[in-house]
Amino acid sequence: MSRYLYDGTVEGLLSAAARIITEEKDPETAVLEERENTLFEEGMFIATDAAAAEVFFQRLRRDVPDAASTFYYFVLAEKEGLETSLLHYLAQALRYGDRVKGNLTHPAVRNVVTVSRKASRELHRMKGLLRFEKLRDGAYLARMEPDCNILQPLALHFSRRLRAEDWFIYDVRRRIAARWHSGSLQIGSIEEFVAPALSDEEKRIQTLWQAFFRTIAIADRKNPGLQKSNMPMKYWKYLTEKQGE
Amino acid sequence: METLDKLQILSGAARYDASCASSGSRRQGPSSDIGNTSQGGICHSWSDDGRCISLLKILLSNDCVYDCAYCVNRSSNPVPRASFIAREVVDLTMEFYRRNYIEGLFLSSAVMKSPDCTMERMVGVAEILRTEERFGGYIHLKIIPGSSSELVHQAGLYADRISVNIELPSQESLKRLAPQKHKQAILEPMSFIGKEIRQSLVERRQSCRAPRFAPAGQSTQMIIGASPESDFQILRLSEGLYRKMNLKRVYYSAFVPVMEDNRLPVLAAPPLLREHRLYQADWLLRFYGFSAAEILSDDAPNLDESFDPKTAWALRHPEFFPVEINRADYGTLLRVPGIGVTSARRIVAARRFSVITPEGLKKIGVVMKRAKYFITCSGRPFEKLDRPPALLRSRLLIGDGSGVAVQEPPKQLLLPGLFA
Ligand code: SF4
Repeated sequence: MSRYLYDGTVEGLLSAAARIITEEKDPETAVLEERENTLFEEGMFIATDAAAAEVFFQRLRRDVPDAASTFYYFVLAEKEGLETSLLHYLAQALRYGDRVKGNLTHPAVRNVVTVSRKASRELHRMKGLLRFEKLRDGAYLARMEPDCNILQPLALHFSRRLRAEDWFIYDVRRRIAARWHSGSLQIGSIEEFVAPALSDEEKRIQTLWQAFFRTIAIADRKNPGLQKSNMPMKYWKYLTEKQGE
Repeated sequence: METLDKLQILSGAARYDASCASSGSRRQGPSSDIGNTSQGGICHSWSDDGRCISLLKILLSNDCVYDCAYCVNRSSNPVPRASFIAREVVDLTMEFYRRNYIEGLFLSSAVMKSPDCTMERMVGVAEILRTEERFGGYIHLKIIPGSSSELVHQAGLYADRISVNIELPSQESLKRLAPQKHKQAILEPMSFIGKEIRQSLVERRQSCRAPRFAPAGQSTQMIIGASPESDFQILRLSEGLYRKMNLKRVYYSAFVPVMEDNRLPVLAAPPLLREHRLYQADWLLRFYGFSAAEILSDDAPNLDESFDPKTAWALRHPEFFPVEINRADYGTLLRVPGIGVTSARRIVAARRFSVITPEGLKKIGVVMKRAKYFITCSGRPFEKLDRPPALLRSRLLIGDGSGVAVQEPPKQLLLPGLFA
């Protein structure tokens, strides 16, 4: 069994996976961990090689597109300590093709697929639950605090949907924001966030939506449990219809 | 009247309509400035009754000239009346859409003056949204029974989905409870829409510039429990609609007694469990390869309250079981209680790599507490398989004593299209 270390970045992870999978005889017994810089760490450090990482990712996309997207979501989930599972999963995928995704009885495959599903599920959820507010200058702002780092794919979704508007999506916890402005998308970090003033009509529209939300529910069928399981309370903070509850 | 008051009246009046799915259509690209629709459908919120909110679902007007016994908006009922002008609906839709509250609009209406006059105004709303606002989001229009085919045709060009409510499962009930609606006025637009959809698909195969007609297809809705039809009659009707009229969905809506009328049954509560069972049976029709005659018969015309229809079928057909997990084909796996579309697919996929063990089966997501009585895994059963049916029924109902009772009456309206 060989042990390897990498620097904790996504490129580092890809570089290490690329090296191990091409050079190790049996990559599925190798162990890969993030370097902690303690004195007693064992294992060979694989330096990050951005070009190799890129080449490897392109290879995944071409040969095993499903695994490439699983990898993408896995990274968005920001889950630590599963690098070895990921390595074994990628090795399996490159050996047997995309159908390994169905091999849920394999522990590494299951770990990776589960984590990656968590991110893709949250992304899908957020496509519905994100709320924009109109600012005084006419642009729209949405704030969110998702568990996974889904800003980029989420912003892409809205760049296809709200094409004619200017908008921002701000991830409050990670302090990163996406900006869509006259047809182009930028993503960057925000040092200090100052909540801008809302447009005058915003309150009126929000009141209309809240009224709709209240009247559409059938009183005899109240079911807070089901509501919370579909729409967990952690997302309520920025939901227009859940303000003041 | 302020828009807010109208919104309250006209969304309140629309809430009993069970249809909430916004999926099945993909509209994208430069033909619009704002909006697209997403193939899988997106829920934007869940209301206090736990249902998915995906569309701005409202009536254009509740000012009805008809007098259907089961409806709050019937002309003889003294309720506050309101009607939107087209611009109000357009603005609400656009403002809500830009804030990501909704996927689009679901517009229905009471019959103002005449069917055509109503339909014309509804089509007007969709037209402004598509042409002036260049809105590319989802639009679902209800067709008013009796409106002209020219208007139905236009509705289909602007909308992603159009639907005609069948309202009640038989002509007799229609005559008794909705005397101004005639079977022909409902079925004619339905078959007209079916034809148009088919034709547009053919034309679009030849040229991608041919106009799309209701790309997300046609659905309908009927009220359950306001009239005496059996579940078997209802399922046969749905089966016919799926097969002959090419419908995408049939929605069942438990009758909520909103008023007293001696033509209507007196119900203690809306028949929610029945509605839930009908959705399960409908699911079997569409995705599990069952026919109505397999699920019910003239001798047993109603769905079992204690068991889901698939389990009930399995209990009546001991000769079909046990099913061997490592060999059975997809269609056979689907018939096992506790195995759904997803887990059946996963079983077929996982089998290619290795023999599936009992452990693996759990991980795949099979509901073992139901499935274990009906399967073998590499020839080995999980449970004694030749239990007398009565014992098996009670086991399935209360569990095997190792856990808590499994049967909880479903409280909620099942959300069609949200679990796959
Ligand atoms: S036509 Fe529609 S709105 Fe009018 S009474 Fe009948 S069901 Fe109600």
